[in-house]
Amino acid sequence: MKQLCFLLLMLTVLAKAQAQTRISGTVTAAGRPLSGANILLAGTYDGTSADSTGSFSFTSYESGSFAIVFSSLGYNTDSLRVQLNGQPVTLTLRMKEAIVELNAVTINAGTFETGDNRKGAVLTSIDVATTAGAVADVVAALQTLPGTAQAFGENGLFVRGGTGAETQTFFDGMLVKSAFGSQLPDIAGRSRFSPFLFKGTSFSTGGYSAQYGQALSSALLMESKDMPDKTSTEFSILSVGLSAAHTEKWKKSSLVVGGNYYNLAPMYAVVKQNIDWNRSPVEIQGSAQYKLQVGERGMLKVYSQFNRTRADLTTNFGDEQNRADIVNKNNNYYINATYKDETQSGWKVQGGISAYVNDERGKVNNDKYALDNNQYQARFVLSHPILGRNLVRTGIESSFNSHGESWNALGRSFNNHMQAAFAETEWYLGQLFVTRIGVRTENNSIIDKWNLAPRLSFAMKAGKRGQFALAYGSFYQNPDDAYLVQDRNLDYEKAQHFILNYVYQKTGITFRAETYYKKYDNLTKYNSTTYTQGFAVTNYSDLNNGGSGYAKGFDLFFRDKKTIPGGQYWISYSYLDTKRDFRNYPTRAIPPFAAKHSLNIVYKQYVPGLKTEFGTTYTFSSGRTYYNPNNAVFLGNKTKSFNNLSLNISYLTRVFNEFAVLYASATNLPGFSNVYGYNYSADGLKNTAIRPAANRNYFIGLLVTIGDNTFNH
Amino acid sequence: MKKIIITLVLAFALVNAFSQDKFTSAILKGIAMMDSAKNAASNLESANYFERIANAEPAQWLAQYYAGLTLIYVAYDESKDAETRDMIYDKAIAFADKADKLKPGNSDVYALKGYITFMKMAVAPQARAMSMIPVSNAQIEKAIALDPENPRALLMKGQNLFYTPEAFGGGKAKAAEVLKQAAIKFASQKTTGIEPSWGQRRCNSLLEQSK
Repeated sequence: MKQLCFLLLMLTVLAKAQAQTRISGTVTAAGRPLSGANILLAGTYDGTSADSTGSFSFTSYESGSFAIVFSSLGYNTDSLRVQLNGQPVTLTLRMKEAIVELNAVTINAGTFETGDNRKGAVLTSIDVATTAGAVADVVAALQTLPGTAQAFGENGLFVRGGTGAETQTFFDGMLVKSAFGSQLPDIAGRSRFSPFLFKGTSFSTGGYSAQYGQALSSALLMESKDMPDKTSTEFSILSVGLSAAHTEKWKKSSLVVGGNYYNLAPMYAVVKQNIDWNRSPVEIQGSAQYKLQVGERGMLKVYSQFNRTRADLTTNFGDEQNRADIVNKNNNYYINATYKDETQSGWKVQGGISAYVNDERGKVNNDKYALDNNQYQARFVLSHPILGRNLVRTGIESSFNSHGESWNALGRSFNNHMQAAFAETEWYLGQLFVTRIGVRTENNSIIDKWNLAPRLSFAMKAGKRGQFALAYGSFYQNPDDAYLVQDRNLDYEKAQHFILNYVYQKTGITFRAETYYKKYDNLTKYNSTTYTQGFAVTNYSDLNNGGSGYAKGFDLFFRDKKTIPGGQYWISYSYLDTKRDFRNYPTRAIPPFAAKHSLNIVYKQYVPGLKTEFGTTYTFSSGRTYYNPNNAVFLGNKTKSFNNLSLNISYLTRVFNEFAVLYASATNLPGFSNVYGYNYSADGLKNTAIRPAANRNYFIGLLVTIGDNTFNH
Repeated sequence: MKKIIITLVLAFALVNAFSQDKFTSAILKGIAMMDSAKNAASNLESANYFERIANAEPAQWLAQYYAGLTLIYVAYDESKDAETRDMIYDKAIAFADKADKLKPGNSDVYALKGYITFMKMAVAPQARAMSMIPVSNAQIEKAIALDPENPRALLMKGQNLFYTPEAFGGGKAKAAEVLKQAAIKFASQKTTGIEPSWGQRRCNSLLEQSK
C-alpha cells in the first residue's frame, strides 16, 4: 500500500511538474505571410493554424526536446527542434513552394500527352473522340496537333516531313505492324483501333524514348483502359453501319466483346463520290478484351481483334485509256497480351506478347496479287526507382516478321528476326532539372547488323509554370518490306532529331512552342524511269541506301479551356521546311506529303440547355508539290492550298430510358474544292486530279449504352 | 514486489484509459469545430486540427477519416483555383485511403471516398465526368452494400444523382427518392460519440432543393 501511495504521489508530482510553454511566431513564404499554415508539435495534439498575418501562438504542457512540424498545401513540409521548458519559444518559420506534380519538371520535348488523368495532357480521350472532322478516329484527331500534316491520299500519320511509314503505333508497349487497313490508290484509310479502347495516348513528334524503335519520325503510344466499372451493353446505329458491344464485369476481371459492321452503300447512294466504286466498301470487325486483376497491383490485359474489308473500284492512274479495276480483300488479325505488376520493393515489371497477321489479296484487272504480312513480338521491361524520383529502366524485345507478295504465279518473300535491348535512366538534379539518358540497340537478321541509337533529353523549369526542354536522338528503321523483299543488301534508314521546346501551362491554358531539326541518312533509293503509280506489287531496280534529307521548322500550340464557359478551343500552327532525296528522286526535292504551312483551329462548345455539344474544326494546309513530267524541275509544281471546315453535333439524350448520344457530323461543309495532287499518264500528256473520296461527307450515328454512361468499345 | 507489478499494470491501464479519453475528447472538439466552421479560414482550421490528430494518432482510423472529410470543406471554397482544389482532394484521398487500411470494409470510409471522387470530378467535369462519376458511384454502392443502414452512404448516392445531369442518368427527381430514404435513416440513426454522424443538415437542404 505504501508503495502504491508513493507511486501515485510520483505521478501527481510529475503531472504538476509539467510546465506550460507558449510557442509563437510567424510563417512566411517568399517574404509573404502564409495564412492557414499548420504548425504542430510532433507526436502530440498540440498545434495551431497561422492566421491571416501568418502569426501563430499555442501552448503545450509537454517538456523536453520536440520537433515543430510546419506544413501548408503547395509548400514543402519542414521541421525544426525546440526545447520546451516553460520558457516562451518564438519562431520565425520560412517555407518553400513545393514542386508539385502540376508544376514539376518533366521530360516533354517532342511529346504530346493525351488522356484523362495525365499530367500535361493536351487532349482527353473524349476530345479525341469528339473532334470535328475526326469521326472518332484517333489518328485524324491527332492531325489537329502541330507537327502533323493532313494525310491526303495515303495511310498513316505524317509527322514533320516524314512519310506515313515513319510513324509507328504501340499498343500497351507492343509494336503494331500497321494500324491501318489496306492502302487503296489515293485513298487514306481509317486507323483500325477505336479511341474508346484507350485511356491515354502519348504522341511523340520526335525525340522519343529508347523504349521504342523502328520509327524514323514518330511514336504513337496508346495505353488501353483499365478495368471497366460496370456490366453494360451498348449499341450504335450509324449511317455507315451497325455496332454492338457487351461488357461483363466480375469481381477481379472483365470481358468486353464487340462487333462492327460497316457498309458504305447507303451513304454513297446519297453523297456523291469522286471515286469510281464498283462495289461499296464493306468492313466486318470483331474484338474481345479480357482484363484480370492479379494481387494488389498486377494487371493482365488481353486484346484481340479481327478486321475484314472488301473494296472494289476502278482507277485510271492518270490515264483514261488505262483504266484498272481493283479488287482488294483484307483479313487482319491482331492479338496482344500484356502483364504489368509492381513488387513491394518497387520493381515494376511489364511483359507482353503480340501477334499480327495481315492477309491482303485481290485483282488488278485480271491479274491476281497477294500480300502477306505477319509479326510476332515478345517484350519484357523492368524498372526500379533509385534515390527518390530517379529511375532506371531496361528491357528486351524479340520479334519475328515475314512479308510475302505475289503477282499471278510469281511470288517472293522474306523472314526477319529482330532482337532489341534498351536501357535508360531518368535523373532529377534538384527540383528544377531532369535528364533522361537512354540507348537502344537492334539487330535484324535481314540486315545482319547491330545498330546503336542514343537518346538524350533534358528539361529545366523556367518560372512556376514554364519549362524549357531539349532532346536529341538517333532513330533507325528497316527499309520498307516492299524493298527488303527484293534486295537483301539494304541497310537501316536513319534519322537524327534535335528539338528545343518551351511549354507554359496553367489551369486550363497550355502554350507550347517547339523548334526542331531532323536529319535523314541512308534513305532507300531505286531506279525507275516512270513516275506513274503502280499498285500492290511493284518491281524496283538498283535498290540502295543513297538517299538523305532534312526537315526543320517550328510548331506552335495554344489551348484554352478556361475563358469560354462550357467551351474550349485550340489552335495549332506548323511551319515545315523539308527536302529529301529518296525513292526514285533525281535530286533533293520537297516531297508531296509535306506542306509548308499547316493550321488547325478546333472549337467545342457545350450548351447545357440543349444538352448538346457543338464542335468545329478548320484546317488549312498550303499547297503541296506534285510531279509533272512536263516540268523540267522535279516536283516543281504545287497544288493550291487545302481548306476544310468540319462541324459536329453530339446530343445527349435517353432512348428507352438508357443513356444515348445522337451524333452528326459533316466534313468540308462549305464544299471547298480540294486537290491532293495530279496523276499523269505514261506519256505525260494527260493528267487527272487526285481528289478527296467525297467532296463533302456526312455521318449520323446513335449510340446507346445500357447500364452505364460510358463507352468501352 | 507483486504489489509493485500490480500497481504498475494498474497505472499503465489508467494512463491508457486517460489517453483513450484524450483522443475521444480531441475528436469531439474537432467535430464541434467542423460543425461550427463558417468560412474558408475556419474550415481550414478544423482540417488542420484533424490533420494534427491524424499525425499524432497514425493508428486511429477516425482521425484519418475526419481529416479527409474536413478537407472537402476546405476545397469547397469557390475562390480557389482548380490546381489547388485538386491538390486538396488528392490529400483528402490519401487520408481516406489510410482510414481504409486501418479499418477495412467500413461503409463510412467508402461513402467518404465516393464523396471525394465526385468532388474531384467536379473540378473539371467535362474532362472527368465520363471516367470519374462511375468510380464515385461504385465506391458509394460499396458503402451501401457494406451497411445498408448508413444514412451517409445514401446521402452520397442522392447527392451524386442531384449533381449529375438528367441526360447522364441523374436528376433531382431521382435524387429526391434516395434522399428521402436517407432522411429516414438519419432520423433513426444512433449517434455513438465520435463515430461519423454528420450529414442530416446536408440531406435536408438537398431534399429542399430537389423539390
